[in-house]
Amino acid sequence: MEASAASRIGPLLLADIDEPGLNTLEVYERRGGYSSLRKALAMDPEQVLAELEASGVRGRGGAGFAMGKKVSFLPKGSMDKYLVCNADESEPGTFKDRELMQKTPHTLIEGIVIASYAAGTNRSFVYIRGEYVLQADMLDAALEEARDAGYIGEGILGSRHSLSLVVHRGAGAYICGEETGLLDSLEGKRGNPRLKPPFPANQGLYQGPTLINNVETLATVPAIIHMGGAEYAKLGVETSTGTKVVSVSGHVRRPGNYEIELGIPSREIIYDLAGGPPEGRSIKCWFPGGSSSPVLTADDLDVPYDFDSMGKAGSMMGSGAIIVVDDSTPIMEIALKTAKFYRHESCGKCTPCREGTNWTVKMLERIDEGLATPVDLEIMASVQEHIIGNCLCVLGDAMAMPIGSMIAKFRDEFEAHMERARIAHGLGDDEMALTAQGTLGVPASGELDVGLHPPTREGDRAPGAHAGEPGTQKGGV
Amino acid sequence: MISFTIDGIEVQAPENAMLVDAAKLGDVEIPVFCYEPKLGQPVGACRMCLVEIEGIPKLQTGCSTAVKDGMVVYTQTDRVRTAQQSVVEFLLINHPLDCPVCDKGGECPLQDITFGWGGGISRFIDPKRHFVKPLELSPLIAIDRERCILCYRCVRFSQEVSEDYQLVLLERGAHSYVATFDGHPYVAPFSGNIVELCPVGALTSRPYRFRARPWDIEESGSVCTFCPSQCNVSLTVRDERALRVKARDNAEVDDGWLCDKGRFGYQSFHVDKRVTEPLLRDGGQLRPVSWERALSEAASALRRAGAASGAIAGGEASCEEGLLLSRLMRKALGSPNVDSRRAGSLPLELHRALGDPRLQAGVSDLEFADAVLVLAADPVNDAPILDLRLRKGVRRRGLKLTVAMPGASSLDAPAALSVRFGPGAGPAFAVALAAALREQPQQQEIERLAAGAGADPRALAELAAALRGDEDGEDRPREVVVLYGERLTSGPNGAAGAEALLQIAARLGFAETRGAGLLEIPAGANGRGLREAGALPNAGPGLAEAQAQGRDATAIAEGLAAGELQALYLLQSDPPADLADSELWRRALASATTVVAHAAFLSESIAEHADVVFPAETYPEKEGTIVHPDGRLQRLRPAIARPGAVRAGWRVICEVALRLGTDLDVLSGMMASQRLFDAVPFYAGLTLEEIGGQGVRWQERDAASAFPAGATPGEEPPELAEIGEDPVSLREQREIAGFRSVWDAPEVEHSPALAFLHPGQELARR
Amino acid sequence: MSGADGAERLIRELELESAYESDDVPRVPRFGHGSRVPGWDRAADLDKDPAEIPDPERVEVPPALREEIELHMSHYPDRRSAALPALAAAQRVHGWCSPEAIEQVACVMRVTPAYLESLSGFYDMLETSPAGRHSVYVCTNISCSLRGADALYEATARAVEGDENVNVRSFECLGACDIAPMASVDGVYVGPLSPEDVPAMLEDIHAGRDVLPEKQLARRLVADPHANSREFPEHPVHRLTIPGIDPEIPAERAAFGPVADEDRGEQTAPLEPQPEHGEEDKS
Repeated sequence: MEASAASRIGPLLLADIDEPGLNTLEVYERRGGYSSLRKALAMDPEQVLAELEASGVRGRGGAGFAMGKKVSFLPKGSMDKYLVCNADESEPGTFKDRELMQKTPHTLIEGIVIASYAAGTNRSFVYIRGEYVLQADMLDAALEEARDAGYIGEGILGSRHSLSLVVHRGAGAYICGEETGLLDSLEGKRGNPRLKPPFPANQGLYQGPTLINNVETLATVPAIIHMGGAEYAKLGVETSTGTKVVSVSGHVRRPGNYEIELGIPSREIIYDLAGGPPEGRSIKCWFPGGSSSPVLTADDLDVPYDFDSMGKAGSMMGSGAIIVVDDSTPIMEIALKTAKFYRHESCGKCTPCREGTNWTVKMLERIDEGLATPVDLEIMASVQEHIIGNCLCVLGDAMAMPIGSMIAKFRDEFEAHMERARIAHGLGDDEMALTAQGTLGVPASGELDVGLHPPTREGDRAPGAHAGEPGTQKGGV
Repeated sequence: MISFTIDGIEVQAPENAMLVDAAKLGDVEIPVFCYEPKLGQPVGACRMCLVEIEGIPKLQTGCSTAVKDGMVVYTQTDRVRTAQQSVVEFLLINHPLDCPVCDKGGECPLQDITFGWGGGISRFIDPKRHFVKPLELSPLIAIDRERCILCYRCVRFSQEVSEDYQLVLLERGAHSYVATFDGHPYVAPFSGNIVELCPVGALTSRPYRFRARPWDIEESGSVCTFCPSQCNVSLTVRDERALRVKARDNAEVDDGWLCDKGRFGYQSFHVDKRVTEPLLRDGGQLRPVSWERALSEAASALRRAGAASGAIAGGEASCEEGLLLSRLMRKALGSPNVDSRRAGSLPLELHRALGDPRLQAGVSDLEFADAVLVLAADPVNDAPILDLRLRKGVRRRGLKLTVAMPGASSLDAPAALSVRFGPGAGPAFAVALAAALREQPQQQEIERLAAGAGADPRALAELAAALRGDEDGEDRPREVVVLYGERLTSGPNGAAGAEALLQIAARLGFAETRGAGLLEIPAGANGRGLREAGALPNAGPGLAEAQAQGRDATAIAEGLAAGELQALYLLQSDPPADLADSELWRRALASATTVVAHAAFLSESIAEHADVVFPAETYPEKEGTIVHPDGRLQRLRPAIARPGAVRAGWRVICEVALRLGTDLDVLSGMMASQRLFDAVPFYAGLTLEEIGGQGVRWQERDAASAFPAGATPGEEPPELAEIGEDPVSLREQREIAGFRSVWDAPEVEHSPALAFLHPGQELARR
Repeated sequence: MSGADGAERLIRELELESAYESDDVPRVPRFGHGSRVPGWDRAADLDKDPAEIPDPERVEVPPALREEIELHMSHYPDRRSAALPALAAAQRVHGWCSPEAIEQVACVMRVTPAYLESLSGFYDMLETSPAGRHSVYVCTNISCSLRGADALYEATARAVEGDENVNVRSFECLGACDIAPMASVDGVYVGPLSPEDVPAMLEDIHAGRDVLPEKQLARRLVADPHANSREFPEHPVHRLTIPGIDPEIPAERAAFGPVADEDRGEQTAPLEPQPEHGEEDKS
């Protein structure tokens, strides 16, 4: 795999990331840290913005919106404006921001200060997911150092730019990674996404114009300023410039974070860097951008890893998290895990997502129990279509797209699974025989349960039991 | 106006109207569940209103998309229909479809939309969820969580309209449910509105549950007279009984909300305790008698008293009744002793000056003003619906709310500034504020006056600055509204309080500024109308100069107690409860030779002291007009039949007058209204048709120019009467300033549903 | 909707009816089963007062908690932003977001308790019922379950049965798929774990020791072989005192071999035997 190194540039974000003490200001500065900030502060904010726009860097959080453009959307003027760093990294399979915040928190802080200078914001927040205790502690410690050194606060490095920064810890909700859900959560509410428009750039946090960027995007900013936007734009491919930290997980030999130049073949990432699936196995399918992305198969391994190519291949690069599934795993299992996750994380605000995720799980469970017919597969596919595009935010789509793609690509396997399960349930020989027990969810024992689903399932909660009981996921699954 | 196309029809609509509203102008209905403009910004949660707009690839929510010129919208394409059907299908997944036993059946938006836009079938065959139901959410409201479609309306109401923040969603996703903290009941002054907001049968009114089906009932519009807010209501009537009260949207009055007293107090119309036939004291006991007997006994007793009689019109009386009562007293008995105010009289000039149409603010001005001062009034206890209006102004329009009260106010939370003054020192505080608003304020004077009012001079200066808008620095007339309670112009210092208000008005330029002005909350629901109809000791109808000066309410009580007056005529008034100084009134009633009372309920004092009791109508039985505190004439229309032997108030007064030899020349309710419009110059030419369902503000009609000019306020601070330090004076002073909440009223006491509020629950003082 | 399905439903209905007639199937006890979500079946207690913003004179708040909440409130333009950190702080004091804890936070923040309760149910890390003091979140999301997280979760849950001090929960993706299957023990990420690690992990928890020091994420080097131009064998976070990190233990590269079959749980199809951790050398 080292052979492929020719197609890779030296890492920008992960460079010597394990150097002892890189999380401290001393080592960070010794390695040239905060020099990009000095350089930026010597320029006009407009020039900094121009560099960001020239770099062509696209958001690393999932949506892939051009960062420079996003900054430029913020209205000029003296109103209260905010910069929010989205560190609520919750997309299954994604763990790049965790690595960056833990090991080089000052890069993020430097990026935030530069971006806030370009955007003209004076208050900033890092919304970090509550589970990242170590990373939040590292950020807090780095923040204190940066504050003492004058990189954060009033009149940064003698300039007229001032910035306050607060590290805000979340408390466990995937939906808070959605930018407007994050804003509501940061305002101290339930993290329900908001209707757009108004977009956060006009009316975001506390109704003020707000710039929201992912950790990796902001951590890239010092490198862009250091290299110059045009130089950075030479990395990668035309519409996906720069490097990207890709989290590879699942059935690969070396799961972990790899920084790649955008546009290299996906195969290089999965096989050369992450080592490919274990000996004797082959890739059944893979999520190219977290569990929200439609799955691809082994046929798609040569698709270049960048925003547009992934889109053309019918999926998306998302947050840059590759989850590899090998041929030992039934697709049913993946579909059920995915659907259950989104049901658990749906905020409940809009109808198609709240009910659609719930319904999908029920149907999948029924398939698994041998109580379904091929008609149910049709209904399930149609339900996914009814979710896509009809929801308030993208969470509903995030389940419907991968589930839809799984049904489309592995229909035979679903049907076979269904048939096997039906036989196991003693129903296989009669096409129409869905018994009363099946439809009412009445177990053969005669003990009735007409709750959300049978109580024997893992992670479930027996009637009357409380959440403190070991083995329960919050609120049931 | 812009023009856009919807389903091929070109429609003219105001720019930036939401598509859902604009579509109606083209007779296209876009179904909605969560959209309710009264609740604020659209949330786009239910996804029912998806439409296709040319040039936009994704379907858009019609509730949150503003129409633009040239927009081309489709609501009938296959894509839209599929989306609509799928949303209905999704919503019905966990809905029990128990319509046959659901109270909402027949008037249920979910039913209607399922029928109109749904697919007609469901492919959902998994078990639905089932829960224990219905459950109590509060003494007034039942919750049925199976039926809830999580549209967020009720929790948005609690959080963003009434701001009590007691009703919330718990859990997340498909597990979300509407609840309160730790099983506490949802008890708040406006909680009943969530029943009306609920688009399914999840929140139902416990008093109304299973009383009727929509096809059993009729809706009848009227105006609630339980407090000065005079909210427009629609009564649900079945077999001549009111079974429910719903809001009848009037943006200029109530904004479409009702308080719980207005919503549930209807039960008092039908309780057994209601007086339904004339009563006469016979051998120390009140016994039912014929109307003939009661009328003649009353007439003869009044004749004996002659000019030594007095009359009090209570807040629920209509303008017509007020007019006829004052004619009965003045013409038939030769007594000018009529009053409808709570304590003490105000010089006629001041009445006129305060009523000046140029100084009059309307209810909606409270919302759109730059600043509002709530002075010696606590809306939630005086006129509850105004509380919501002020909160709306603060939340949505950037209103700067200031409050000046002797104690805590429920508006302290949204207020930008709260100032306190001593108990009973409202007029003194107004005088001090007027001084602080002088062009050249004199520090010494302000300090002296503030000290007299028991207020902090710095807070006073801050308040004056907030009202003047010193910080804003905007170069435009500042719209300020002063909302004050009648107690500010009552009692020994009432005149000083009134003059101070006029000074404040002059110094803030109310007369010259649109949207600025004064708004009084009178003690009685129809306080303003009764005054304008001439139920005042020193004024005739239309605030005309009275031929003879009569005694005000306090003086009537004193006269009765001292034996100078013999008879008292009470028109829907219970003086010890309604008027200031209950002690004095109790003595007065005890010493009165004759007490004639129109009453719907026998209060303790009426039961003890009345000699003749005429059964009085409640508002849904009444015909007539009342006047909102901002000058809006509103029409009471009979919605239910009068129970038992109850007769119209105007008729009873006329019959008493006839027996005293005076023909008041009224033969019908409509004639009574005509007499009123003829008698009050600034009502001239009004008809009941013109008043219609939404009312009409007389200030906006040409006849308003006939309003008599009043006093011009002086430059110097008005003289304040020395308040004696003796216990009696102090008590009297506190009594006048004291609060009798609208929640402490017979209709609350007699409505079983509201019994839990009684006695003396501190409903919203915190 | 296809005709076949219509017929299917009809058959189901008929079968259902005949089943009822034959009394083979007991009738659905309409309300007998209770609710899946605690609270769904709960009515308001009409004897209670409405839950308004608590009266400071009636609610006693531990001074340290009050101080912490006030500090959080000072960080934001709107005090309500401090709700999550405040609830987290109260949970540390009370063990869960009990009504008492919520009232205390509500009292300091001047919001209604309902406002806070609606938050505590929304966020997974806030406990809405009594829970053990030590939390073990086992990630059972896709990446971890592909590597045997379900078996790990079951083993952990089984091992703490009856133990009131440890709160084991199957959690959604914790953002550490590189050490899958993994768990977060009181906020400390450890992995890759196998069911055999569970006893040692619980022992560490009960003893109040650093949990599985050699398996902690904090000690891992990045997987990208190009990231570090030099060798950094030392612990990467040695300059800061991180609770629970022993700097003496060397860091380890994140890469590791595939997990053994038995760790994958029972639902996966049988595979050909694989050498344990045998692939590492190839990189």
